[in-house]
Amino acid sequence: MSEVLARLDGIERRFGSVVALDGADLILRAGEVHGLLGANGAGKTTLLNVIGGMLRPDAGTIEVGGSVVSFQTPREAWTCGIALAHQHFALVPAQSVLENLALGLARGWADPVRDVRAKALKLMDRIGLRVPLDSRVDHLGVGDKQRLEILKALLKNPRVLVLDEPTAVLAPNEISGLFALLRELAAEGRAVVLVAHKLDEVLMVADRLTVLRAGRTVLSTVPGDYEIPDLVRAMVGADPVDAIAIGVDVEPRSTKREPGESVAHLDRVSVTGGPGVDLEEVSLHVYRGQVVGVAGVEGNGQRSLALLLAGRVSATRGSVTLPEGLGFIPQDRSTEGLIAAFDLTDNVALALHRVAAYQDGPWLRWSELTRHAETIHERFEVQATSTSVLAGSLSGGNQQRVVVGRELSIATDLLIAENPTRGLDVAAAAFVHDEIRRLVATGVGVVLVSTDLDEVLALSDRVFAMTRGRLLEVDEGQRSREGVGALMLGGAFAHA
Amino acid sequence: MAKDVRARVGVGVVAVGATALIGAVLLWWGGYDPQVAAGAMFRGSFGSWNTFASITLVRSVPLILTGLAVSLAFRAGVWNIGAEGQLYAGAIAAVWVGLRGATLPALILVPAVLMAATLGGAAWAMVPALMRLRLGIGEVITTILMNFVGIYLAAYMVHGPLQESRGVFPQTDRLVEAARLPILVPSTRLHLGFALALLLAAGLAVLLRRSTFGFQLRAVGASPEAARVAGRIRTGRVVLASFLVSGGIAGIAGGVEISGLTYALYEGLSPGWGYTAIAVALLGALDPIGVVVAGVFFGALQAGAGAMQREAGVPAAWVGVVEASVILTVLALARLRAVGRRGGS
Repeated sequence: MSEVLARLDGIERRFGSVVALDGADLILRAGEVHGLLGANGAGKTTLLNVIGGMLRPDAGTIEVGGSVVSFQTPREAWTCGIALAHQHFALVPAQSVLENLALGLARGWADPVRDVRAKALKLMDRIGLRVPLDSRVDHLGVGDKQRLEILKALLKNPRVLVLDEPTAVLAPNEISGLFALLRELAAEGRAVVLVAHKLDEVLMVADRLTVLRAGRTVLSTVPGDYEIPDLVRAMVGADPVDAIAIGVDVEPRSTKREPGESVAHLDRVSVTGGPGVDLEEVSLHVYRGQVVGVAGVEGNGQRSLALLLAGRVSATRGSVTLPEGLGFIPQDRSTEGLIAAFDLTDNVALALHRVAAYQDGPWLRWSELTRHAETIHERFEVQATSTSVLAGSLSGGNQQRVVVGRELSIATDLLIAENPTRGLDVAAAAFVHDEIRRLVATGVGVVLVSTDLDEVLALSDRVFAMTRGRLLEVDEGQRSREGVGALMLGGAFAHA
Repeated sequence: MAKDVRARVGVGVVAVGATALIGAVLLWWGGYDPQVAAGAMFRGSFGSWNTFASITLVRSVPLILTGLAVSLAFRAGVWNIGAEGQLYAGAIAAVWVGLRGATLPALILVPAVLMAATLGGAAWAMVPALMRLRLGIGEVITTILMNFVGIYLAAYMVHGPLQESRGVFPQTDRLVEAARLPILVPSTRLHLGFALALLLAAGLAVLLRRSTFGFQLRAVGASPEAARVAGRIRTGRVVLASFLVSGGIAGIAGGVEISGLTYALYEGLSPGWGYTAIAVALLGALDPIGVVVAGVFFGALQAGAGAMQREAGVPAAWVGVVEASVILTVLALARLRAVGRRGGS
């Protein structure tokens, strides 16, 4: 067996009363791509932050190159040859891409930026990830920020490269490019650690697997020794499993639901000045009882499309017909879907207060609103002691239950769901998917806009790809990761 | 909800206690006897029924009204630091209508004076509101700057167009009886304005809690993004309305002061009520009922300050220090509570 570059043994770490790591072990060997698996909340990110020197463990030892180390800062980890690409980007928004790359590389009085430009260009050529070097970071889409985060780690020329969920916002062809690069880096004698919540992605590239559950290492093996269902069981224990969320059910829907009447219609609609690229001449019918799935790499106009269909922005040109009973699940539940400082009743009222049935002249019918909130609380099994709990104190999954419950209750004609499972754990994602399926069965039209290709393929009757502000329908025969990915491909480099 | 109210009351009590402590230490440090000063202060504010009604409560009227104006704006996420200017704009409009309509009966003239004050204050708030909504200029700076314009406009008025008929003193003519608010409690100076302030507070409390507009205002203040996306609320309209209502209430404070107490406009009508209002609003936890309590507290402080100066020789400016320490204590406590909650969960 090859040389051990880093060894983590019995790592424990708590945040207040929450135990994030409770005896996690990880051994990283030269020449290996190591896949770290686990449901959301299993402690993957915490463990990576311990390796990268961002967090100090409460107990346990870290050995690098055979000697025990204790990192006080990320720079110390970096000095030991460990570089971390963050899932929640650690970037300076007001600075350019180049300045972000140069950050931390500065030595003495030399101007680091000039030097870094040449290095960055060379690196981008080699690995095929492109980011506009002179753009300000806060003007970048999520995809570009992710590419930048990976480049930043690679520029440090690390012996141990740590990647936290790098694939979630990348296009399929970029993912395969990244994986080829990881194989190459491993072949050079480096160690790579990769977290991805899609099981099949990890299996594509990993030489070794470690599964975390509830902060503990429950399995360490090589791919092939275990069947996928066994790995899933190791990841989630007895929890309910959402096959889509962990990427083991990526087959497109085989039985197509019969379309009802048209419930929303876009006729050659353009939107300029929204987030991402402008929408150009988009036409779309949404029918009752069907799911329209829209896939695309972030920043290609799907945000504008979602807001347009939800009636939140108006068209610059073209005509938009929307129904009355319209629900919208926005992608960012904590800033757009809910008000953290409001209790659950107030948050339910947020969407319902415009409905005539809850108004009485200038007053709101608070007793009705409270009753409605209690119904959502019960029916959607929100883990909260009562409806007067502040929304900000709930976990992400429970917050999404409130948003989904609220929007389903007003979506009598149409539901727009924008990345409805992003950042949710397996059980919560399964809940959202089930609810969408149930809603469609009642004859409501659904538009699912998601960067998660598997989610789009598994739930949709009709699939569209969004590239550079245009909407392309995907033929039946092309409904696979590769097929849709090929259509999205143009968009991936649209703003590079 | 009940827990929330208790926590807010707790913050208020601790803030007042800490303020008393800081105040006592400062007095002692300045060479005064804190006990003598405190005695004078109490006698000057709560000493007798007449002192309480004629001084403490009368002084609390503009503080409650401007406090309500500021708290309503803050709840909507509108940082209206301009209550002082809006108060002056209301006072100018009130005195103008009161003098012009001198022949009208009281039943018409008094409401007209108050209406003019409301419109004057709202017009003053309209300028920063439009600058924020149309041009994206932050209202903190613009409302402060509008204060100076309002203060100096009032000064110009009493030296120029509205100066009293003999042209000697820098003030306007006195309002006729029909333009004055009736006295609320006989043999005191307590006028109808106090009842008006209480009524307005109760009305705002109901508006915020029960009405569609109040809900939208709270939502926009708590999270404009969520209000717009999840609530489909036209945030610009709510912000504009909040500016205007806030400015209108501050304007009423000016009108009530003229029509209820001074009967004339002069330079320095307000000793900075529009600024003290920020302390009142914060100590009152931005809640209308809390603002009434905080307004009476600050009224008592200012009443007591006068007595303290007369009896114990403590400069009245000392009260300014106390007001500042209330703001700082309330802010610090709110912050500590937020931090404590995060660490605890």
